[in-house]
Amino acid sequence: MFWRLVFQLLRGSRGRLGVAILAIVSGAAVISALLDLDLGVQNKLTQEFRTLGANIVISPASGAPTQIRGAEAPSLMPEIEVVGTLQQLPSAQVAAAAPYLYIVARAQNIPVVLAGTWLDQAQKLDATWKLEGNWVASRADDSHCLVGRNVARRLQLAVGNPLELHYLDRSAPCTVEGIVDAGGSEDNQVFASLRAVQSLANLPAQIGLAQVSVTGTARVVEDYSTRLAAALPQYRVRPIRQVTEAEGALLGRIRLLIVSMVLLILILTALCVLGTMAALAMERRKDVGLMKSLGGSISRIVGIFLAEVGVLGAAGGFVGTFLGAALAYWMGLRVFGTAISPRWEVFPVTIALMIVVTLAGALPLRMLGNVKPAEILRGE
Amino acid sequence: MFARLLGESFARNPRRKVLTAAALVIGMAVATATLTIALEVGDRLAREFRSLGANLLVTPESDTLPVEIGGVDYRPVDEGAYLNEADLGKLKTIFWRHNILGFTPFLDVPVYISETGGATTLIGTWYEHEVPVPDGTEFATGASVTHPWWKVQGRWFRDRADECVVGVSLAEKYPAVFALGNTIHAGQNEAAGSGRSLLVTGIVSTSDADDNAVLAPLAVAQAISGHPGKFRQLSVSALTKPADALAERGERAQTDKNIQLTPTEYDRWFCSPYISSIAFQIRTVLPGTDVHAIRRVAETEGRILTRVGTLLWIVTLAALGAAALAVAATSATTVLERRAEIGVMKALGATNALVGGIFLAEQVLLAIAGGAVGFFVGAGLARFLGESVFGTPAAPRLILFPVVLALAAIIAMIGSLVPLRRAAHFRPAVILRGE
Repeated sequence: MFWRLVFQLLRGSRGRLGVAILAIVSGAAVISALLDLDLGVQNKLTQEFRTLGANIVISPASGAPTQIRGAEAPSLMPEIEVVGTLQQLPSAQVAAAAPYLYIVARAQNIPVVLAGTWLDQAQKLDATWKLEGNWVASRADDSHCLVGRNVARRLQLAVGNPLELHYLDRSAPCTVEGIVDAGGSEDNQVFASLRAVQSLANLPAQIGLAQVSVTGTARVVEDYSTRLAAALPQYRVRPIRQVTEAEGALLGRIRLLIVSMVLLILILTALCVLGTMAALAMERRKDVGLMKSLGGSISRIVGIFLAEVGVLGAAGGFVGTFLGAALAYWMGLRVFGTAISPRWEVFPVTIALMIVVTLAGALPLRMLGNVKPAEILRGE
Repeated sequence: MFARLLGESFARNPRRKVLTAAALVIGMAVATATLTIALEVGDRLAREFRSLGANLLVTPESDTLPVEIGGVDYRPVDEGAYLNEADLGKLKTIFWRHNILGFTPFLDVPVYISETGGATTLIGTWYEHEVPVPDGTEFATGASVTHPWWKVQGRWFRDRADECVVGVSLAEKYPAVFALGNTIHAGQNEAAGSGRSLLVTGIVSTSDADDNAVLAPLAVAQAISGHPGKFRQLSVSALTKPADALAERGERAQTDKNIQLTPTEYDRWFCSPYISSIAFQIRTVLPGTDVHAIRRVAETEGRILTRVGTLLWIVTLAALGAAALAVAATSATTVLERRAEIGVMKALGATNALVGGIFLAEQVLLAIAGGAVGFFVGAGLARFLGESVFGTPAAPRLILFPVVLALAAIIAMIGSLVPLRRAAHFRPAVILRGE
C-alpha cells in the first residue's frame, strides 16, 4: 500500500517531477564530473610537471659532481652500487632514471663538456628538449651521440657527421645522431653512452651523479627520496627543490581553486533541487487534505512524500553519476588529451549527496502537518 | 494599469518572490565569482610559476663554448666574452618592461681559498640589488626574485660588502673554515694579497651544484677577476603568455628567412608577452647577446597554464549552467504556483500577451535586482577566493556587471517561458473550478 501510493504519486505529477528530475540529474552529473576531475587532475598535473625533468639527484657526499681542473681528486660513485639500489627500490613511481659521468673532453681541439649517460632515458628525463635528428634508442649504443645546439654551431656539426672526442691520449669516435636544443647548459654539452665515456676517461664503472624523475605528489617524492637516502647513506640524495617546491605550491593552489568551484556548484545545485521540491510540496497540499480526511496519520503521509522524494533523489543521482563520468571522460580528453577514468568512490558519494539534498528540499513538507482537511477540500 | 498590476504583485505577495530572488542572487553571485576568477587565473598562475625561477637566459653572443658543469663555469677568467653591468637598467625600458619581474647577473671566477689551500669557484651575483633604470627610478632585483628556492642559514651577504655565503656541500667539507663569522681569503692565485678577505655570513643551500661554490656580491667577483662592471650570464624571470601558433611562427621568423610575418602578425606577436617576443625585445636593448628561453621551465609552464585555463573555463561554464538551471527552475515554479491568478486574469478578459507580459516584466525586474545584488555578493566571493587561493584578493571587474545583469534577465525569462506557454493553454473555467 505504502509503495503503491508512492508510485501512484510519482506517476501522477509527471510534468512537475520532470523539472525536479532534470534538476537532480544535471546536478548529480556536474558534481560527479567535478569530483572525478578533482581526483584525476592532481595525477594529470603531476605528470605535466615531470617535463621539468628530474626531481631527485644522487651525488657523492662531498665535492662537485666531477672535478675538472684543480687540485682535488674527482669524487665519484661506483655505478653498480647506485644503479643496483635504484633497481631494488619499488619502481612504480620512477618515470625515468639515469646515471651521469661528466668529463671535459676535447673535440676539434676545443674543450667541451662530455656527459656519459643512458641515452635511452634522455627523452623521458628531458621531455622539453627539442631534437633535430633522432633520439638514441639503446643505452648500449656506443657509436652514436647527441650534441648541444651551441656545440654543433661552434664545431659546425650536422646530424650524421662524425665527431672525434679526445681525452688525454685516448680518443673515441661517434656519429652525431641528434642536435639538442635545451635552452640551458645542455646546449654546451655532448652526450654519449655511459660506457663509452667511462672507457674514454679510464674510469670503468664510475659515475659522477644520478638523476631520478619520480612521479607523484611532493609527499611521494619526499618519501622516495628518504628511502633512497636510507639505502645509500654514503651519498647525498637530494630532491631538487626548485621543482618540488614550485610543484607542491602550484598543485595546492590549482586544487583549492577547483574545490572551491565545486563547492559553489554544489550550493547552486542544492538550491535548484530545493526550489523544485518546495514547489512540489506546495502542490501536494490537496493530496494531503484528501489523505487526512480519509484518516491517514501525519507521520504516514509525510513518510510517503519523503519516500517519493528519496526515490527521486536516488534515481536522479544514479543517472547523473553516469552522465558525470562521461562528462569527466570528455573533459579529460579535451583538457589533458587523455581520459579521466571515473572513480568508484564518486558513485555512492554523489547519490548520497543527492538524496540528502532532495530530502532537505522536502523540508517544507513539515508544514503539511498543519494542513486542515476541511479548508483544503473547500478549495482555499 | 500594467504598472499597477506589477506593483500589486510585488506588494501583495513578497514572500513568494523570495525564493526566485534568492536563487537569482546566489546564482549570479557564483557566476560573477567564477567569471572573475577565470578571467584572472592565467595572470595569477603565471606569477605563481615564477617560483620556478628564471625562464630566460642571456649570454654573450660571440662566446666561447662554456665549459660548465652543474652551473659552474670552469673557463679561465680571461677567456670568453662579457656583458656590461651598466646596460642592465635597459631591461626595464622594453615594451613588456612590467612583465620583467627580476633578473640576476652571474660572474663565475675560479679562486684559490688560502684557508683551505684549495681551488673553488666564486660566483658573483646579486641577492638584493637596486638597479638604476634610465627613466631615473631604481629597480630592486636579484637572486631573491629569480632563485626563490635558495635557502640560507645565517643571512645573505650585503650588496657590495666584503661578505660571502658558502654552498652547503663546501661548508660540510671544511666545517672549521666556513663557519659563520669566519673570514676567508679568496684570490685569483695562491699569492697572498691578490684577493679579498670575505666575511662568511651564511651557508646557502641551492639544491644545485652551486652548493659547492662560494657566492659573493657581483662587485667582489668583478674585483677579484679584474673585470670591473662585467658579468657573464644573466637569468631573467619574466611573466609570459603560453606559446601558441603565432608565438612559434614569430620565434622561427627570427632565424628562418623563409618565414615572414605580415605587419599585422608582427605587431600582434611583438605586443603579446610571448617568451619569444620578450627574448627578442631583450636582444634589441642588449645587442651582442644571445637570449634563450629556458625550455624546461618555459614549456612546462606554458602547457600547465593552458591546461588549467581550459579546465577552469569548463568549470566556469558548469557553474554558469548550474546557476541558469537554479534560476530557471525557481522561475518556472513561480509561474506554476500562480495558476489561479492567471485563471482569474484570463477570466476577466486578459489576453495571453498581457498575462505573459506581466509575468515576464516581473521576472526581468526581479532578475535585474537579484543580478545587481548577486554581482556585489559575487565580487566579495571572488575577493575571498582570490585571497584564500592566491593570497591576494581578486579585484572586481565592473565590465562583468552588465554581463551578469543581462545573463540574469535572459535566464529568468527563459525559465518562465515554458510554463508561460503552458499557461496560455489554461482554460480559466477549469482552473477556477479548482482542478
